[in-house]
Amino acid sequence: MAPELAPNPARDANSIAVEGIDAGYGLVRVLEDVSLKVDSGETVALLGTNGNGKSTLMKCIMGWVRPSKGSIVAEIDGERHDLTRLSTVQIVDLGIALVPEGRRLFPRQTVEENLLLGASRPKARAHIKTNLDFCFETFPRLAERRHQQAGSMSGGEQQMLALARALMTNPRILLVDEPSVGLSPLLVGRTIDAIKTLKEHFKLTVLMAEQNFTQALRIADRGYVIVHGRIEFEGNSADELNNNDLIRQFYLGV
Amino acid sequence: MQFDLLINAIIAGLMLGAFYAAVTAGISISFGMLDIVNIAHPGFIILGSYIAYIVNSRLGIDPIVVAVLALPVFYALGALVYGIYFQSFEKRGQDSLRGLAFFFGLLFVTEVMLILVFGVDYRSVTTTYVGGSINIGPMEFPLRMLVPAVVSLGMFAALQLYMSRTFIGRAVMAVSQDPQALELMAVDPTRIKRIAFSLSMATCAMAGAFLIVIQPVLPSSGREYIGRVFAICVLGGLGSLPGTLIAALLIGVIESIATTFYGPSWAPAVSFGLLLLTLAVRPSGLLGR
Repeated sequence: MAPELAPNPARDANSIAVEGIDAGYGLVRVLEDVSLKVDSGETVALLGTNGNGKSTLMKCIMGWVRPSKGSIVAEIDGERHDLTRLSTVQIVDLGIALVPEGRRLFPRQTVEENLLLGASRPKARAHIKTNLDFCFETFPRLAERRHQQAGSMSGGEQQMLALARALMTNPRILLVDEPSVGLSPLLVGRTIDAIKTLKEHFKLTVLMAEQNFTQALRIADRGYVIVHGRIEFEGNSADELNNNDLIRQFYLGV
Repeated sequence: MQFDLLINAIIAGLMLGAFYAAVTAGISISFGMLDIVNIAHPGFIILGSYIAYIVNSRLGIDPIVVAVLALPVFYALGALVYGIYFQSFEKRGQDSLRGLAFFFGLLFVTEVMLILVFGVDYRSVTTTYVGGSINIGPMEFPLRMLVPAVVSLGMFAALQLYMSRTFIGRAVMAVSQDPQALELMAVDPTRIKRIAFSLSMATCAMAGAFLIVIQPVLPSSGREYIGRVFAICVLGGLGSLPGTLIAALLIGVIESIATTFYGPSWAPAVSFGLLLLTLAVRPSGLLGR
């Protein structure tokens, strides 16, 4: 481990700090000098419309895309880890879970099999029973359909399964990429509520990328607005984001 | 008399089908679950036959016991072959056509190797049960068919339990659907594929021993099975072990009936006819994905 990563005394601290990263695909640069942090126990919204780099930032944190510059450091149970040096499997094994854009379920497997796959890592297997019970309690629909193929469910149910499956990995930090995509307004509201419930129950630290500003700001403590791969605005409270002129004009349409 | 003939044709067919299931189990894993067109699979089955033959002729150990002892060797061989395949093709995204050429080459290499070492004569094994049979009324169960069939069904049950009840087994079933999503479950998809491919190779040790118990074997005997195993795998439905078992039993019974009443040359025609007919009605196979 790099020497600059000093140990932190807070045993239950779980945070992410992204510092000045550039990233892209081949010659296309998507992120430019992006910095953001999610402190322990916070829910932070990463706001922006399509194609501004929200998903790329999520992929950088998960190790799917390597930044060409900058650092990504996660603190898990008080221990600091340089994520740019770890593989995706190692990052998930630390306790960072991503609910990916498009859900990425295993469509030909049953609801229960999808959930059990989430609990594959040894640290998650120990909590398999309680986590499974909690998921079925929180999402009764999943309990009803536990033996049904995941791909045969509705979009809203699939989103719930994607959330539940990420929880089965027993994470400390939860990243959610565009949970509202393809859902009706009613279901978007329910999904956002579900994220809040899970966060409170598991005492998670949450980073949520979303283009539905109104819904995201209902549960976010703070937020960043990303435009063309740069953080253009940082709001230290949901109010500050709601009352920002730029956001009101371009995104909230008021 | 006709009825006795039919009953015995069905019994022989079921036992043949159980043997086909063992031959196809590996293909059902590598081709059906991992999308790896391992056309060399029957070649490795013949390698299994020769290993059973050589140990049996030198030390007199039962060929099926030899196969069980050889399982780790075949598992390791599978890990090696997958390692080469992954580094040379899969990693670079050239898996389909060049991978096919790679496995076609492997098929020839194993066949030529066997010819160089053992020559082109038929080889067979001696066991206590090869000539015996159990008779129940008009029904006859030749032991050289019955023993491989029973062990094969046991192997199939073990594989199915492993795939459906263990974390690794579930990951094997998921890996071809979305390998990247598997990483989000802290599971390395390449490791899962290596384990599954090694398992598929390990089944060759068993199937090879079954084959040489049932009939004498030549280095080129594997070729007869290439078409048949892929047909059974597709008929059963890709990625489904229970489907593969049903399809194997079905093909076994149909071939046996066709052989008994119309002559052996009709057998392949009838079974492939059934395959085409099934695919016309159910393109994903009997229990396919």
